[in-house]
Amino acid sequence: MPFDRKRAIAVRIVREIRRDRRSVALIIGAPIIVMSLIGFSFQDQKPVLNQAAPALIATMAMFFVFVLTGISFLRERSQGTLERLLSTAVTRSDLLVGYLAGFLLFALVQSVIILMFTLFVVDVDYAGKLWDIVLILLIVTITSVSMGIFISTFAKNEFQVVQFIPLLIAPQIFLSGVILPTSQLPGYFQGLSGALPLTYANRALRDIMLRGASLADVSTEIGVLLLFAAGMLAAAATTVRRP
Amino acid sequence: MNGSSAQSGHAAAISINELEFAYGKRPVLNGINLEIPRGVSFGILGANGAGKTTLVRLLIGRLEPTSGTALIFGRPPGPALADSVGYMPQLNALYESLSVRENLDFFARMLGMSDSKPRAAAVARAMELVGLADRAKSVITELSGGMRQRVSLGVALVHEPELLLLDEPTVGLDPELRSMFWRHFKEMTEAGTTILISSHTMDDAAHCDSLGFMRGGKFIATGTPGDLRKSTGEPDSTLEDAFLHLSRSSGVGT
Repeated sequence: MPFDRKRAIAVRIVREIRRDRRSVALIIGAPIIVMSLIGFSFQDQKPVLNQAAPALIATMAMFFVFVLTGISFLRERSQGTLERLLSTAVTRSDLLVGYLAGFLLFALVQSVIILMFTLFVVDVDYAGKLWDIVLILLIVTITSVSMGIFISTFAKNEFQVVQFIPLLIAPQIFLSGVILPTSQLPGYFQGLSGALPLTYANRALRDIMLRGASLADVSTEIGVLLLFAAGMLAAAATTVRRP
Repeated sequence: MNGSSAQSGHAAAISINELEFAYGKRPVLNGINLEIPRGVSFGILGANGAGKTTLVRLLIGRLEPTSGTALIFGRPPGPALADSVGYMPQLNALYESLSVRENLDFFARMLGMSDSKPRAAAVARAMELVGLADRAKSVITELSGGMRQRVSLGVALVHEPELLLLDEPTVGLDPELRSMFWRHFKEMTEAGTTILISSHTMDDAAHCDSLGFMRGGKFIATGTPGDLRKSTGEPDSTLEDAFLHLSRSSGVGT
């Protein structure tokens, strides 16, 4: 069975995360707290909230999955299980697809929870289809899982993975239009913002949620996001076997 | 899978020829020659930093030699041999939040055992062999150090490989467990399995069918424990005496 290894890796990842109760609570609780904070502080300024919410959803999906994958893959290296796996017949694609599937399932649950909370508790206005939003979040997750695996090659411990957050995640939050619309950024930053996956995720999610755009309307953004995902996946594939 | 793959006729289990390896500019292995026939236990003895782990990692195909060759059953190391080779790394290398059975089952699947029935039987047999059948459901974090090491050994032999590469498998084991490990190793070699074991304790050395003393990235002596003991020229010398004697006369640094 060609998919047996991939499936076993995915199942193992889900199992490991599920057994870590506190992490599960944080992964679900933290975004809800952040969302509540923002939601309730902008209660009187609905337009600001509506503008920020789609971007925040994408940012959180990217952020949590990146940290989770980065640390679990790093652990795989440092505890020696990767070395042991690589002495079996495991291939790069087994590892990548297995990891992706495991975290996608997880990210899907997380995204849906954030989404539901944002839409129905914080009461952000939205048009468009729910599944379209989830699809965009899935592509963001693929990018994020691959980025986590790739980055884990350059980190020797958990502290170092966390140090990559200000380097990789913070600029995206500032430059992808989460806080300021990208059009209000200085010219040179606008160029940089065009090179960040979150910019496209934000744009697509805003169009869908605020203007009721269809997937066809945001096909450019989806295309660019897929390119980022493919690029990150390729980067992860080249470093996955490194000791 | 014992016997099923009949690797390249009757080639030796391990055959290493003028093997050299360097990490960047730092030479670690300096011309290793070694031939291990099937069905024996061979011990690599040496101090920390002698190159034991590097040699084992070359044999599982994780490192590429700088020059020279290493063959396992006549073939270069790598994933294609995964069926016939079991590897126990120095770290326990287990998933700590999973149970004993889940760890064994996971690695068995990685080794290509995709049918669940024979896999369950293999996992049960491995647990029985390392004496952990009654701890099948225990999570690794609940186990003592010695038990973790037994799980790690169980993972290495779950697919009944023809060759076991064990990197310091007895470190930190109490005498009782150590002798239990060696009982298993004896049974396995008698059944035709080849075992390569790295260690720095002379207690392990005495159990091996043959030995190689390693120092400074090469073997300074190989032979049966009896032969090596005689090398000092004194009738009642121990393996430790022999190792120290040979180290001094080799003129090779660590």
